[in-house]
Amino acid sequence: MFEQLIAAQHADPRILPLGRGLTTKLIVGMSQDEWLVSIHDGIIIDVSKGPFVMASAHFSIMADEEAWIEFMQPIPKPGYHDLMALLRRKRLQVHGNLQPFMTHLLYFKLLLACLRMSPDEAANI
Amino acid sequence: MIAKIEHITGHYGHFDIDGTMHRIYWEEAGSGIPVVCLHTAGSDSRQYRAILNDPEITRHFRVLAFDLPYHGKSSPPSEKAWDAYELKASEYMATIISFIDGLNLERPIVMGCSIGGRVILHLARDYPNRFRAFLGLQSSPDVPPYYDVDWLHRHDVHGGEICGAIAYGLMAPTSPNADMYETMWHYMQSGPGVFKGDLHFYKWDGRLTDHDIEFISEQKTGPIVLMSGAYDYSATLEDAKELASKLSAQFIPMPELGHFPMSENPEKFLTYLRPVLKQLQAQ
Repeated sequence: MFEQLIAAQHADPRILPLGRGLTTKLIVGMSQDEWLVSIHDGIIIDVSKGPFVMASAHFSIMADEEAWIEFMQPIPKPGYHDLMALLRRKRLQVHGNLQPFMTHLLYFKLLLACLRMSPDEAANI
Repeated sequence: MIAKIEHITGHYGHFDIDGTMHRIYWEEAGSGIPVVCLHTAGSDSRQYRAILNDPEITRHFRVLAFDLPYHGKSSPPSEKAWDAYELKASEYMATIISFIDGLNLERPIVMGCSIGGRVILHLARDYPNRFRAFLGLQSSPDVPPYYDVDWLHRHDVHGGEICGAIAYGLMAPTSPNADMYETMWHYMQSGPGVFKGDLHFYKWDGRLTDHDIEFISEQKTGPIVLMSGAYDYSATLEDAKELASKLSAQFIPMPELGHFPMSENPEKFLTYLRPVLKQLQAQ
């Protein structure tokens, strides 16, 4: 699911400028599946799928699978349309050193929203 | 090309608020029943531009939107400029009352969004006879903290960018991009610590209890109307509906809108607002 971030970061021209100055590693995913995302100066340079033995990252963004699927709908339902909305619903947790997440909050919101499905993809789930 | 000039006029006035003089900026348009519009936390009166520019409304209503002190063009009062800013319910209400008294507005309709949607409930409790009607957008009695608001004002996080990013997600993903961006831009221009200072009212000082709500429902007030955008995850539609029920208030759900109905999708919001104002005009 999150391997597509490498290509998706170019899908929305707003994303790369918002990532300026950001160098970090994060884990994103759900309890059974996780991905390690490496970002250097605002460019995602690697996405590796777990499981990991001892992955080193600054922070993690984890949600349950259903919440991610709802978030990735072409037009998500209220409460599933934004990372902070999922946080409010207790469907998403952010752990670790949150400083890079909060300095670049809009970057992460738009980046993950780039994984939203097309209407055709959503219909075939 | 000849410029298209809007009919909105901007003004500065000097108001005594709890013994401190403030230079307050407001914009207005129209004539008729006054409607005082209250902006959200960390933003300013520009949020109400579409209402100020709507001839269907300004034909019958004098619409006024002012910037709270520390917001927009209302600078902090000089004698408090270096103090930490925290909005409290008492001074918020005093500011609104000072504004309507200072302009000699007789029983205006008060319309507020978010913190403004909260304070209209305080006004209904403490000043039930001063207003013709209370119109709450994204009203809530209490929103428990669900993130650490200290992030909004730190030395190592850009205040404008974090405030804008928080505001962005509160809007409906289907709202027009240009309007969403401008709504976010207002937040990006907010003064350092102001959004966080406003949330002091929203999350702590201005919380209303069940007792308050019961008290308001038993007051003889003008009509209370609550309008709620579904994409608001802060003051949720479900909570607003429950609040309206407790207050016996009219409730208008707005499924396509979020936390900033008047600025994130003004054209859609006007389709909800115009009938409400027409109804209040007839009462």
